[in-house]
Amino acid sequence: MTKTVMRRLLLSGTAAIAGVAGGQAHAQAVPPSAAATTKAGTEIRNVASASYSVNGVTQTTTSLPSILVVDRKVNLVVERAQDADTQVSLGQVGAAVAFRVTNKTNDVQDMLLDPDQNLGTIVYVGTDNFDMNNLKAYIDTNGNGQYDLGVDAEATYLDELRPDESRLVFLAGDVPTAQLSQLAIVDLHVTVAAGGSAGTKGAALVQTTLNVINQDAEVDVVFADNDSDGIGGDGLHDGQARSYLAFNVGVRNVDLVVTKTARVISDPVNVLNPKAIPGAVIEYCIVARNSTLGVAASNVTLTDSLPSTITYVPGSLAVGGIGSTCLLDGVPQDDDTDDGVDPATYKGSYDTANRRVTAIIPSVPGSTTLNASFRATIN
Amino acid sequence: MRSNALITLLLVAAAAAPVSAAEPLRLETRILAEKRVAAADGTTRVALSPATRAGPGDPVVVEVRYRNVGRQSLGGVVIANPVPRDLVYRAPRTGPAPELSVDGRSFGPIASLRVGNRAATLADVTHVRWRLSDPVTAGGGGEFAFQAVVR
Repeated sequence: MTKTVMRRLLLSGTAAIAGVAGGQAHAQAVPPSAAATTKAGTEIRNVASASYSVNGVTQTTTSLPSILVVDRKVNLVVERAQDADTQVSLGQVGAAVAFRVTNKTNDVQDMLLDPDQNLGTIVYVGTDNFDMNNLKAYIDTNGNGQYDLGVDAEATYLDELRPDESRLVFLAGDVPTAQLSQLAIVDLHVTVAAGGSAGTKGAALVQTTLNVINQDAEVDVVFADNDSDGIGGDGLHDGQARSYLAFNVGVRNVDLVVTKTARVISDPVNVLNPKAIPGAVIEYCIVARNSTLGVAASNVTLTDSLPSTITYVPGSLAVGGIGSTCLLDGVPQDDDTDDGVDPATYKGSYDTANRRVTAIIPSVPGSTTLNASFRATIN
Repeated sequence: MRSNALITLLLVAAAAAPVSAAEPLRLETRILAEKRVAAADGTTRVALSPATRAGPGDPVVVEVRYRNVGRQSLGGVVIANPVPRDLVYRAPRTGPAPELSVDGRSFGPIASLRVGNRAATLADVTHVRWRLSDPVTAGGGGEFAFQAVVR
């Protein structure tokens, strides 16, 4: 407590208050930062002062400080750092998904990283049917924003994450070779841990128990994080968060076999049993057979360069016939290279200069055989 | 360390107590939190209790109590409370609204204050002040409080 007696001549009561207030302001020399929150452990000291007059003499008095210690308000955000699932191929090594971890706590914290495999169905992603091998968490060591196999370091925690600081975390692993593998859902499970010592993995924070007396003078740990997934993997106010992504096997090897056969349709002499003589019309049949169960082959392009001994019959190209013989023809195609107007989903063209026939089948479903056929005359 | 600091504070308080007896106006300030308490009749009322849980963004109430412990009436009482740096002034809570200041020198309603070229906002308030129009008689007292938020 301080007591000051001043002569009225020198200072009015209001001015005396300003003097006391200015002294208090001096103690708060550090300018407040609007963006940053008050750091955990900060003492908020409140002091009131008063001026009054007794028998014409102005006096001032100051209260004892009332102290509030700012608690550790623990919050974090774990979010996807990519728009869609990662497309992988069977047997791929070092496939990765990317997450972003942000510390929303009012102090420096470590973040424990736990790569999780998921089984079963997670409504908003899909149905998981395989696990990645060697799934581990990695940090973006070279800072290029993407996972680099052998460069980015494996990590079990993020060290000393400042308030509002974000870092990328990759979950990377190897895709098994089993044919039925389709979707592997993984999640990055992050737990807020004690910070303060660089290079050391802090222990997971534990919330201060409620109903402990005199907590206003201590730095309590208060979990203020939300339920990050809403499906039971994460809970409200638990100091943890999860985010989900998936490895989707979109590129596969299929057993695709292409064969070509020819048969003589007609010749200028024989009505029955036509022979391959000059002037005879030959039908060529190019067959694409996909033997893989349940997996389509996409964008199958069949090309055939014709020898100079035969001449392409204009407009004879048909694509998309079903079966390994061309008895049932597909959809007739025009010969120009403008595939935009070709009928059905198939595309075909004949390149006169290079004597080349091209047929494109957008998709050959698993265990089916599609063909393309065209005709030529023997010179 | 924390407990040592507390003990030191308590010692200071104990040492200061006899001195305060000589001062006719006793000032006391507390930082409190609003808590909803269920009453026996089923209603809930808002009660004040020590702010045990206060992190950034949490509301608190700063209370100032005054009492004339002397034998004479005190005139021209002005009570000032600099707003701690880590608190943002929000609104009056108990008693009349205080006069506000963004520099500790000129006081008035928020609409009359400016910071540089712009109008001041509540986040700019650095000091609050109450001026008592009536003398505080011996044994008399009262309290003021304002709402604030931890930055």
